[in-house]
Amino acid sequence: MRLGRNLLVRGFTLLMVVVVTLLLMNVVLGATGFSDRMLNALINDQVRIYRQGLVQTIQDPTELQRIVNNYKDVLIEAYGLDKPWPMRLPQMIWRVMTFDLGKAKNAQTFKGSTEIYDLIAERLPKSILLITTSVGISALLGLTIGTKIATMPGSKIDRFFSNYSAFSYALPTWWTGILFILIFAQYLRILPPGGMYSAPPPTEAIPRFLDLLFHAILPISTLVLALSGSWIYLTRTMVLNTAQQDFVNVARAKGLPENLVMRRYIIRVAAPPIITNIILGLAGSLSGAILTETVFGWPGMGLLYWNAIVTVDEGLIIALTFVYTLIYVIARMILEVLYVFLDPRVEY
Amino acid sequence: MGFNAKDALNEFWSSRVSKLGVFFMVTLFAISFYVLVSYPSNFGTSYWNRPQHWADYPKAVPPTWTQMLTSDKKAQHQILVTDEVYVRDKGIRALEYSIRFNYKADEYPKFTSFSLSELTFYDDPPFVYLTLERPDGTVIEDLLFHSIPYPSPGDEPPFVKYVESPLRIYLPGSSEVNSALSRFVRSEYELGLTPLDIGNSGQEQYIFGTPDSEGNFDQPLTGSYTMKIRVETFHEDDTVGSVKFVVGGTVFGYMGTDTLGRDLAVGLLFGFPVALFIGFITSTLTTIVGSVLGIWGGYVGGRTDDVIQRVSDILNNLPQLPILIFLVFILGQNIWNIILVLVFFGWPGLTILVRSMVLQAKEEQFIEASVAIGASRSWIMARHIFPQVAPFIFTQMIFYTPSAILAEAALSFLGLGDPSLPTWGQILERGFQTGAIYLGYWWWIIPPGLLIVITALCFVFIAQGLEPVVNPRLRRRR
Repeated sequence: MRLGRNLLVRGFTLLMVVVVTLLLMNVVLGATGFSDRMLNALINDQVRIYRQGLVQTIQDPTELQRIVNNYKDVLIEAYGLDKPWPMRLPQMIWRVMTFDLGKAKNAQTFKGSTEIYDLIAERLPKSILLITTSVGISALLGLTIGTKIATMPGSKIDRFFSNYSAFSYALPTWWTGILFILIFAQYLRILPPGGMYSAPPPTEAIPRFLDLLFHAILPISTLVLALSGSWIYLTRTMVLNTAQQDFVNVARAKGLPENLVMRRYIIRVAAPPIITNIILGLAGSLSGAILTETVFGWPGMGLLYWNAIVTVDEGLIIALTFVYTLIYVIARMILEVLYVFLDPRVEY
Repeated sequence: MGFNAKDALNEFWSSRVSKLGVFFMVTLFAISFYVLVSYPSNFGTSYWNRPQHWADYPKAVPPTWTQMLTSDKKAQHQILVTDEVYVRDKGIRALEYSIRFNYKADEYPKFTSFSLSELTFYDDPPFVYLTLERPDGTVIEDLLFHSIPYPSPGDEPPFVKYVESPLRIYLPGSSEVNSALSRFVRSEYELGLTPLDIGNSGQEQYIFGTPDSEGNFDQPLTGSYTMKIRVETFHEDDTVGSVKFVVGGTVFGYMGTDTLGRDLAVGLLFGFPVALFIGFITSTLTTIVGSVLGIWGGYVGGRTDDVIQRVSDILNNLPQLPILIFLVFILGQNIWNIILVLVFFGWPGLTILVRSMVLQAKEEQFIEASVAIGASRSWIMARHIFPQVAPFIFTQMIFYTPSAILAEAALSFLGLGDPSLPTWGQILERGFQTGAIYLGYWWWIIPPGLLIVITALCFVFIAQGLEPVVNPRLRRRR
């Protein structure tokens, strides 16, 4: 079956993306001596705890030292610190995949856990909420406005959106966010400057949802502004290119009504490349979301990333880089599957 | 594909965006050239990121031109230095300096500070006295008294101090000054204000103002002031390098200052060559790698092509920013690391595009003819394939430049910029970190972002202008 094979090839490439990312990360960590340092810190931590436990029972300092040293040697061997880093690679990759990277230095969950896994599990849904909403709105805008202005090339509206797309390409997402805060939160004082809920957050469901919406307006607008420009323009170009094809002229010459030509002859042909490009644009929206979360203090993984950089928390940075790659790959895979169902002719 | 340079130029020049882009580009280059010529090469480490260098500047004040928007006359920043010394030998030996300055503002200065540098003494450390003569003839005696601390026990004369960084005393915050002002207002205006009252209500109004009938110091005394500085010494060979008095303005320069007192105009100017450098180096390297691999893979085909295709497919599918953050964090915040990482993830996009063009180009008959004559592969690639895709590659290079600038700015904003090279992104990051948005320091937030946008737009415009030249069949395309 061709369809299944296509998906398999696609899935394999995306799986390779994860493998390459893991390899790249761990080779870099190993070659720069970062992994040695991290393991050392981990071992020293455990040795310290072990020693504190023994101090009560063993009085003789030399005996204590000998036992502690023994324990340390066992740990060094267990973590593979006695071997050069290339030998440790499989183990290192496994630890990244299971988030076994120690505790976060300066971040904790709502319940107070500093386990990296817990932190990510808490922040992930908040990031996904922001990203999916913004990508959804942008895609909708891109498709509707793009096809609309394609019917009037050279008009004022068309030129406005072509300038808009150039601006949205040149505009740094985070700066747009900062400007929004300056204008809407600082001067006009009509929207909150950041966060996800008011403090204290409303407890009932409906006020709580409205509060969330109120806080989400600025971050979502920022992301939509960054993403929609190129998507509108892309749709417009694709539709316009298709509209200039001979078979469309034939359809028009047959006297078919314009909206039917648009629907049946143009959009149907232009849709697959448009969707492909929107899928490819996903990577850009992840980057935009990291920056937007940072600017607005949206408590997702992007803000966690920034915290990790500021507090020089390498374990958290490694984990987040891996999670973002994973999210990206999974989202891509979902879209690919949807896409194949929309257009079974697709071939790679 | 007939390609006429003159026609191409005409076509390019005929669009408005190209003209705008070229105009911006020339301006960017002119400013960058000026900066390269006039700035020291160690600007980042020795000036911009050294707080001592900015100690005499007012902190977080808006640009000077903002005073045109209000009717009030703002206090101008004045840094007054002198080394012209009068040596008094009768009685106690003293080095005397006098600094004259005009004060014309409708408000009080933001702060005042006194500094002294390069002091050499042989015996007991000298005493420093400041006395201010005001425009209305009143005199604030011993506004500041400071005794230089004794040298450390082991040291031998001559004792040399304040060479690296001067002795700097901020008048606000000095209890000495509060007492002097309390004495002054009592004797001159018969106002009973304790030193504590003075300290709590701001000293500048007592130094620079006179009371109205109700005893309020609302209006500064404008006119010519003279600050007399007297350094009483205990040895005839004692010397002082120079003295400085700073009247802190409430506005500064063309672009204002940040919370460290850094002149933002200076930092923003330095950002021009850095942005262009990052943009051009990254896009050039990316284009070279991307087009060489694209042409090679596309023309040679077979297994080579497969490998290049797979690798570029995978790299092109990585989420860029997280990997960028990771690599720059681990490898170190160095400009070359940032550039290399950007190149490493930038080339696949171009390779995929170039390859598809080469696949078409290599079917042309004159290439078959060259092969038949026995031309080598590299000859054909260099002489026949490359010229066909070159205009397209050039456009892509221009188009890629702003994304490198934007990527660096994003990294800087996340705190991963190269600290030795100040960029617009880093200036914004400082502003964001210190809460400039919430304090309303717009002059710190808007200009650097605007400069990034203008620079990026300039390249986008030129790329848009080039598009119809490269591909005449298409009107403007993405």
